[in-house]
Amino acid sequence: MKHVGAIAGRELRSLFVSPVAYVVLTLFAVLGGFFFLASVLSFDTNVSQAQQFQAFDFLRSMNLNDHVIAPFFQVMWIVLLFLVPGITMGLFASEKTNGTQELLMTSPLTIWELVLGKYLAAAAFVTLLTLMLGLFAGILFVYGEPELNKTLAGLLGVWLVGLSYAAVGLFASSITRNQLIAFFLALVLLLILWLLSVFADLGGATGAVGTSSPVSGVLRWLSSSDHFEQLTSGLVDTRALAYFGFMIATFLVLTKASVESVRWR
Amino acid sequence: MIEADGVSKRYGDLVAVDDVSFKAEAGEVVGFLGPNGAGKTTTMRILTGFLPATDGTARIDGHDIFEDPLAARRAVGYLPETPPLYPEMDVAGYLKYVAKLKDVPRARRGEAVDRALERCGLADVHRRVIGSLSKGFRQRVGLAQAIVHEPSVLILDEPTVGLDPIQIREIRQLIADLASPPDGAPRHTVVLSTHILPEVEAICRRVIMIHAGKKVLDEPIEELTGDGRRLEDVFTRLTLGVDDVPEAGAASPEVSA
Repeated sequence: MKHVGAIAGRELRSLFVSPVAYVVLTLFAVLGGFFFLASVLSFDTNVSQAQQFQAFDFLRSMNLNDHVIAPFFQVMWIVLLFLVPGITMGLFASEKTNGTQELLMTSPLTIWELVLGKYLAAAAFVTLLTLMLGLFAGILFVYGEPELNKTLAGLLGVWLVGLSYAAVGLFASSITRNQLIAFFLALVLLLILWLLSVFADLGGATGAVGTSSPVSGVLRWLSSSDHFEQLTSGLVDTRALAYFGFMIATFLVLTKASVESVRWR
Repeated sequence: MIEADGVSKRYGDLVAVDDVSFKAEAGEVVGFLGPNGAGKTTTMRILTGFLPATDGTARIDGHDIFEDPLAARRAVGYLPETPPLYPEMDVAGYLKYVAKLKDVPRARRGEAVDRALERCGLADVHRRVIGSLSKGFRQRVGLAQAIVHEPSVLILDEPTVGLDPIQIREIRQLIADLASPPDGAPRHTVVLSTHILPEVEAICRRVIMIHAGKKVLDEPIEELTGDGRRLEDVFTRLTLGVDDVPEAGAASPEVSA
């Protein structure tokens, strides 16, 4: 496993000398700023309206965690859906277009070292994005009193979602030599994973599958949305952790198989 | 040292490499010759561990490429047809990365990179970004990455393709020096593929000709060209199956089928 660091380091450096990292970071910062401001402003409007109508029960139920941080994280999750494939699209695809795949595959390293090195680079980038979100949430601690643990659970959710998206993106990049295809493939896979719970609901609504049927249960479990919403609501459930662990492991194994298949063609 | 033992590669019904065996000792420069699509690149890819053989095996410095692939790969330097370069990296940074991948110990890495830079005439451009280099320099960087870990075996796939005559001469000199270094450093076994016949005559001591996946010739170059025969004629005879090309016009009776 001694080559993992070398591969991850090269990948990160190369992300930061290309415009990709900066485009992604800028988009994330701008969109983050916009949605953060929107969440705070809508919270402010709601509070002043509740005061105006003297809806004290409603006012009492309002808090920064549930009404600013959670909705904000949930929007940023959609942003991640589009940005993480941008980071991962080149991880393997560019090795094929550069011809450097031949260097990697004829060097004394294992496929696992290669896959984990690449994944580690993407994971580091996702961590950076999560920390940026932490900064936004941190502002609220200066001016208000949100609950720390609940906020951290939400950040953990964002981080895990980002990490699982990176694994999906890595896989998409490993099966094509075209970065654009890798990007859209990752996006489609992520959208499907996200929408599985919607399919489950639709199935229930149209009576095709019952909402309590095993099929719908499996679809719901496979979908990232329920697990993520649970985490942003402050509930750190081992089932959610197991879900993300399972997703990451599955796509890393798929990536390994896909990279290895070059040898068997 | 390379020992290939009945190496074959089949893709379904297509036989790309058919039972190729040969041996190459340290200090030898062996030329892989053959028309395009003869199986030269596939054979080289098998020797470097990029592709598995369907049948047969090979030993690099005594390490079997299937049983001990990592040790075998450590002993090989490989320059593919397109040099495997990262355009966004600088030359020295790239070579350092390759040295890491090839298990050059940390303490010797700087020295190994400097030596490769110097041998390939890259000392002046070591801070330049690879993407901004000319084709000739990129080819040299490709060669430098193949030798940075001092492998005992060098496999070069068309090392001079697309270079100008002066660059070709320099690269050929470099290859000759790698096989038998003037300063008494350890000698490399070099296998290079080409379809430029004068190149073979200029630097190779032995010729292995491959045609339709089969080895059709394996002889020292003096014996091939010793009695006034031209390499080109040998090549044409073996790849086209035509006898006595020198006497053009007088078609040999065996050919009419």
